[in-house]
Order: sequence, then structure tokens, then C-alpha cells
Amino acid sequence: MAVNKWVERFFGTPMPDSVVITSFLFPLLYLIGFLVIPVLVMLLTAFVYNGHISIYWFKSIFGAPYYFNPLHPSGSLVQLIPWGNQQVYYFSGWDFGVVINSIVVSISVMILATILGVAFAFVMARYDFPGKNIVRILLFVPLLVTPFVNVVVVKKMFLPNGLINWIFYQHLHLFPHPIWIDGLVGVVIAQSMTYYPIVYLNAYASFINIDPSLEEQAENLGSRGFHLFRTVTFPLALPGIAAGAALVGIFSLEDLAAPIVFQGSAIAKKLMSFQIYSSFVSGFAVGNPQMAALALVMLTIALIIFLAIRWYVGMKQYAMLSKGGRWKPRVAKPRLWQAAVIYLIVIPALLITIFPQIGVVLLAFSKRWYGTWPEGFTLSHMEALLTQPDILRVIENSLLYSTVAIFIIILLSLTASYAAGRFKKAKLAPILDSLATIPIAVPGIVIAMSYFFFFSTVPPFKGTALDPTNLLAFFPGAALILAYSIRRLPFAARSIAAGIQQVHVSLEEAAINLGAGRWKALTSILIPMILLNLLGGAMLSFVYCMSETSVGITLGSINSTWYPITAKMKELITGSVGSANLAAALGVFLMLVQILAIVLANVITKQRYSFIGLT
Amino acid sequence: MVEVKLQNIVKRFGDTVALKGISLDIKHGELFTLLGPSGCGKSTTLRIIAGLEYPDEGKLYFGDQDVTYLPSHQKGAVLVFQNYALWPHMTVFDNVAYGLKLRKVPKEEIKKKVEWALELIKLKGFEDRYPTQLSGGQQQRVAIARALVVEPKVLLLDEPLSNLDAKLRLEMRSEIRRIQRELGITVIYVTHDQEEAMAISDRIAVMNVGTVEQVGTPREIYEHPRTEFVASFMGKTNVIPAKVVERNGDRVTVEFEGFRLDGLHYTGKSDNVVIVIRPERIRLKPAENAVSLTGTVDLIEYYGFFIEVIGLFGDVRMIARTISDREVGNLKPTQPVTFYINRDDIIVLPKQQL
Repeated sequence: MAVNKWVERFFGTPMPDSVVITSFLFPLLYLIGFLVIPVLVMLLTAFVYNGHISIYWFKSIFGAPYYFNPLHPSGSLVQLIPWGNQQVYYFSGWDFGVVINSIVVSISVMILATILGVAFAFVMARYDFPGKNIVRILLFVPLLVTPFVNVVVVKKMFLPNGLINWIFYQHLHLFPHPIWIDGLVGVVIAQSMTYYPIVYLNAYASFINIDPSLEEQAENLGSRGFHLFRTVTFPLALPGIAAGAALVGIFSLEDLAAPIVFQGSAIAKKLMSFQIYSSFVSGFAVGNPQMAALALVMLTIALIIFLAIRWYVGMKQYAMLSKGGRWKPRVAKPRLWQAAVIYLIVIPALLITIFPQIGVVLLAFSKRWYGTWPEGFTLSHMEALLTQPDILRVIENSLLYSTVAIFIIILLSLTASYAAGRFKKAKLAPILDSLATIPIAVPGIVIAMSYFFFFSTVPPFKGTALDPTNLLAFFPGAALILAYSIRRLPFAARSIAAGIQQVHVSLEEAAINLGAGRWKALTSILIPMILLNLLGGAMLSFVYCMSETSVGITLGSINSTWYPITAKMKELITGSVGSANLAAALGVFLMLVQILAIVLANVITKQRYSFIGLT
Repeated sequence: MVEVKLQNIVKRFGDTVALKGISLDIKHGELFTLLGPSGCGKSTTLRIIAGLEYPDEGKLYFGDQDVTYLPSHQKGAVLVFQNYALWPHMTVFDNVAYGLKLRKVPKEEIKKKVEWALELIKLKGFEDRYPTQLSGGQQQRVAIARALVVEPKVLLLDEPLSNLDAKLRLEMRSEIRRIQRELGITVIYVTHDQEEAMAISDRIAVMNVGTVEQVGTPREIYEHPRTEFVASFMGKTNVIPAKVVERNGDRVTVEFEGFRLDGLHYTGKSDNVVIVIRPERIRLKPAENAVSLTGTVDLIEYYGFFIEVIGLFGDVRMIARTISDREVGNLKPTQPVTFYINRDDIIVLPKQQL
């Protein structure tokens, strides 16, 4: 017997046992089968015209001003229009065609979310002020995901009789006329308020992780105030901030909730995500290869953002250069003008950004909401959560799909992280690592579209319960579980991979060396040691499965018996007047699930083992 | 307890060759040390013996049995890791009992054996503690107990003292020696510290960039280094490049910086040589069969229990070490000084490409 170099190249060890082989092959085959191949099938569809390989569909997109019109935009950012008996500033945005609109919206959201996120993070990381603990709790609120209904509240806030005008026009007289934010501008505002916490969390962690001695040295050499921030603090935190901003850009690109809520304004529909979505729900256009081509354009942009940020962050690893030991964070009492900025600008801005979640609760407990505030307290919507059969049904469905998906996710993350983390020399390791994180850059609507083409055309699945064109037998739950397990994999995978990285490999080697097989070493040493990462990651993935939107309102909305929660919410808010309140009640339910998960995570992680040993 | 035999072990990591054909014979009951600078391949050798890596070429035998490709959990060569690798989620008892449970030893016997092992390492009564509640030295001893309790064919120690402070290091060193003697087991010990290696080992293999330079008892290695690398690695020593200018049988005359030393033993082919002189073998007073070199004093360093006189001979600095104040007398830097060295204490070795 001799060492097989070919085997070693692929598995990172010359004699892989069944556990190692399974750890590589199970996630690899699953991700290839349910992510890579479906996308390739869609790609093939987009490149075929009249039975030939052709770029016809891409030409049809980039040749049509409806889709691509970068030079002669129509519409205007803002105009003065009559509203009742007064004039209002109506914001809707320019129309550059679907593709450019999506990019412009995405970049605008990135910028706005970064400004909000960095400002809040800097204040929280560096200043100690009365009321800070309350602010810290308030900052949890925007993290709560409430699909559709938070956008409904944002839309109400920015109506001429909404909260914003009530404050700034009626009471503070800051505007000459009321403002009305709608169309693409409305989408930008709603998405910025929804996604800025991602930048906040990244920026906060980055500011906290900067070695204070680096800033102290700069001060010692004479740098102060904004100069210090511009030359030392910000550049060091930039990789983290940029990673958050990139994620926000991708999420904006794929978001469907904001365009659907704002679709009353025609321009809000002119976004890639909405176009693909509406081709899906309008039925006859299902299977339209032009939409497959559009989905590919969207996927390409998302992947470019994702790969660019990976490359950039990888290059800027110096942020981690001086680590070692704990240090006292640099927290200072704000000076007078700084306190004024915190209390008069930062905190009010925060209150505005958390209002959507508060508004969802108000909406869930009220009869109507036409003006500035909701009216008529009622418990009937909340009661419907427990009594109305169709509502109970969707809650059951979502819990079922998410629970099954989470088991698959745990298996996938454990195997993939173990294989990629412990056998780094394997040629398959970086492939596995990328495949496990890349779903975060794949828009949900692209997955829905790919699954549609894949399951309705490729032989083993065609005609089965996974085939959406097979209307009588199609079981949306199966497709949703597959989609959830792919889309929400990165959250758990990242958490578990971080856990595995913290456990020194010698702890497993010691067990194996003492006579344990690899399976025994895994179950008795590694898994108990990373249990908290595993639970934390699984919970995060679970709550995001529960609130998954794109696939839920497309493949998931084909048969109302099998609706997930989000499909029902979408139906409610686009349906008859008043049912938005019921959707809000579902939003409150989702918030409660998330709060429970956060509290559980906090309780569990209090008793943590610390790893001992020095190298 | 077995003999461990390595035959032409080759190990590559990508394009780098970590081990270039290592052959070793380790006797049973012996404390054998792999000594060398970091990156010399000593830890890789140890991991191959433990079964945590597999060699690309060559054979590994325990006794007569070929165990080259036996997986680690069947090998019975138990490694004590440099970082101890104690499992933080298990108590001391569970850590030590782990290997016994895997071997399906009855519960009562496990208890007895763990007790025996903890007694051996003087940690009785610590059964219920968690590793984080132990000091570094105690963690180290638990790691040794965990390995010993399964009665390994051979015990492997990877830099076991490197994470301990100086005082504890000396204590653990003799502790390891005591346990090894008491149990009469084969121990393979890896370190980069030559002093530690000399103090603890029965035999030492000095390694350098993937090869074994010399195997021998500490005394053989110190007094009769076979290569320039071994000579210079074993403690502070004078290694001076020189040229053979005259040969007379196995006696030669060498020259450096205009100084000629005659009547030295050398049988090598190359005329490019180094002369190796241990500082403590240099006298400041005339002695029998000695060559003498006169230069100037560069520095005098006072260490307390010995004194070093650093002399300059042309551009060559040479250190003489003595425990005698009287020998040094009133010497001052820049004054002339004469070093006397017995010809038998001068080792001439071929110059090595290091």
C-alpha cells in the first residue's frame, strides 16, 4: 500500500475514511444539485433562441429602452403637484430602465444605509452618554424582520399626511410644502431603513475591534478629532463597513417587498426583481426565457458585488494585524457639541428608523390607519393568529418547512465546515467553502426562477411533486424546503465554521490518537465544543427561513393550502382594504419568534467554555 | 514497549520536502530525543510515528510489525501535544478515562487505572476539576496521565515544556525522567532546546532541514560532533573557518587569520574546514599538549558562576569560559591575552553549506 497522491489532492488526506468522504461529498453534491445545476439550466434557457445558442434574449433586454435606458431618463426626482387643496413635493425618481434603475436603487441604498449604520455604530462604540442603554435596546428593534408590513408603515410615514410631515412640516415648519415619497425613492427609503442594521452591526464590531493603541499613537503624534477619524479609525474599520455595505447592496437588488408595496406608483415596478416576479405570478409568462436572461443579469451584478468585496476584504487583512489580549475600549464622554449631535440628530434619526417596527405593532392592534396615526384599538387581528384557519395553516406550514430546512442546514453546515476547515489542503476545500457562502449573493428570485426551469424540464424531477408545471401533484413545501436550505445555509455555515476554527485541531487529534475513530472524535469532542455556535447559527437560519420572501411568494404561492407565512402576508397587503392589519399581526408573530430566538441565544451563550492551550 | 524503527522516511508538503529520508532505530525503554531548530522536521517525524501524518516513502516498524499506514487510533503510539489538547468540556477524570472507555475497560478498572495515573503524576484529588481550573504545569501532567493510562507502546512528547515558565520547566523535566524510569517505557521526545535534550535523553538525534545529522548519547554528541551543524547547535561554541595547509597522516596543520595550529586530528578530504573549540576547554594559563594563540581582549562578561573572556584574533572572536577568577586576574579589554587549547579539544570538521 502506498499513499495515493490523487486522493490526497482532493481530500487533503491520503487515506480519507467514510466520515471525511461524506463530509466532502454530501454538501458538495447537494449544493451542486440544488444550486449550481438549477442556475446552469436557467442559464442555458437564457442562451437558447429558436433551438440555437444565441444572445437574442440579452439583446432584447439591452436593446429595449424599457429595460436599458441609461442616457435619456424619464420622470423626475421631485416635482410639485397638487394634493387635495395644497401643493406637495412628490418624490418618485428618474426612470433609466429596469436594469439601471435596480443598480441606482442598490447604490443609493448602500450609501444611505452606510451613513446611518456608521453614524449609529460610531456613537455607540465611542461615546458614553446618559440613556445609552436605552439606545442599545432600541437598536435591536430594526433588526427584527417583518416582511412587507414594515414597508407598508414606511409608505404611510412618508405620505403627505404621514408622520414625517406631521413632525417636520406641521410642527417644526422645516418644509415649505409637505413631502410625499413614492416610487423608486420610496423603495430606496424603505430598503435603507430595513437593511442599515447590517452595516451597523459590521461597523460596530469593526470600531470595537480596533486596537486602541493605534489611535493613541496617532493622538500622541498630534492627530485629533476628525483628522484622527479620517486617517486612522475609518480606514481600519473600512473592510468591515464595506462588507456590510456590499451585503446591503445585494439585499436591495433582490428585495421584492418594497417594490410590491410601492407598486401603486408605476415606476416602482421598473426594477429587475419586480419584473421577474411579475412574470412569475402573471402565469402566462412563466418560463419566459427573457426573464431567465434578466435573472442572469441580476445574478451577475450580485456576484460581482460579492466577489469584489471578498477580494477587497481579503486584501485588507491588516485590520487584524495587532491582536492579542483584551484591551480597554476607547469610550469617552461626549463634549457639548457632540452631545448636541447625539441627542438632536442621531437619536431622533434612530427613532424614525425604528418606527416601521413600532408601526407594525400599532397596525396589528388597530382597525384603520388613514392619517398620521392608526385608529380604533382591536385585538381581533391578533386573535385571528390563533383562531382563523387559513392563518393557522400558514403558520403551521412555515414552521414545518423551516424546521425540516434547518435540519438539512445543520447537516450541510457541519459537514461542509468540517471538511473545508479541517482539510484545508484539499483541492475541494475552497470550492466547498465558496459554495456554502455564495447563496448569500444569489437573489431569492433567481433561485425561484432556476428551480422553475430545473424541476419542470430536467428528467428525474419533471412530472414529480417538485415540478411546478405539474399543477395537480406539485407540492410547494418540497421546493421551499430545498430553497430555504440553500438560501439560509450561509448563516449557520459561517457560525459553525467560526466555531470549528476556534477548536484547535489537536483536540480531535488527541482523541483519535488515543484510539477514537473519526466519528467518535467528532461526536465526543468537536460537536460538544461547538454546540453553541451550532445552536446560534441554526436559530439565525431558522428565523430567516420563517421570514423568507422571494421563493415563498413565487413557488410558494402556487397553491394556497401550502402557503408559507410570507405568501399569505403578500396576499393580504395587496388584497382588500383592511387586511394589511392581519398581515401586521403575522408580522408581530414573526417578531416574537425572533425575539425568542435572540433571548434564547443570549441565555445559552452566557455559559461558554473558553478554549485552553496556547498555540 | 517496542522498538521503533524508521526506514528512509520521506514526507513532502506540496513542493517542499519536509523529511528527506529519515532512518532511526529507537530501542525499547529508551528516552530518545529528536533535537533541532524549528522547521527541521522533528515534529513531522513525531506525527508520522503517531499516525497523524502518513509518509510519502519509507517504512515505519513497531517491533517487527509494519505500521506505516496504520491509522492513528489503531497505532498505540500516544502523543502528548505541545498545547496539551485537554478537552475543556470534560473533567480531569473524564479526560484521563477517555482512552480507557474507548477500549471498553470495565468501569471499576477504569476508576482504578485513572487513580493510579493521577497518583503517578501527583494530581490525586483533582478528578472533578475542569482543565481551565488547573495551572499550566498541572494541565501538562494531566495530558501525560491521559496518554500513560492506556499503556501506549510508545509515548511521544512534542515540546512538552515549551509552554511552561523556567522554574516549572526544570521540575517537569525531572518529573518526566522519573516517570519514564519508573515505568521503563519507550519515550520519543521532541525539543529545540539542546540543554533540555542533553539533560533528559538516553540518546539524541540532531536534525537539520529534513535530515538526521547525528545520533548518539548526549556526551557523544557534545564532545564528538560529526558535522559543523551539530557542533554549532549544541550550545555556545567557537566555530572558526580555517584552511588545511599541511597534512601528515591523520594529523594536519590548519591556518586562520595568519594563526597556525598544528598536530590536529583530521581525516576529511576537503581542505576547507572549520575548527570547533568549546569555550570551557580554553585555558588562560599554559597547559600540556596545548597550542597557544595570542590576541587582544575584546570583552569580559561576568556571569557569576563563570566568566567569559572574549578574545580577538585578527577578525575572529573566540570565547573562553572559566570558573576561576584567578585565571582571569586583572585582564582588561584591549590588553593582550593568550588562549591555551589542548590539541585533543580541537575538533576539525569539513566546512558545511548551512
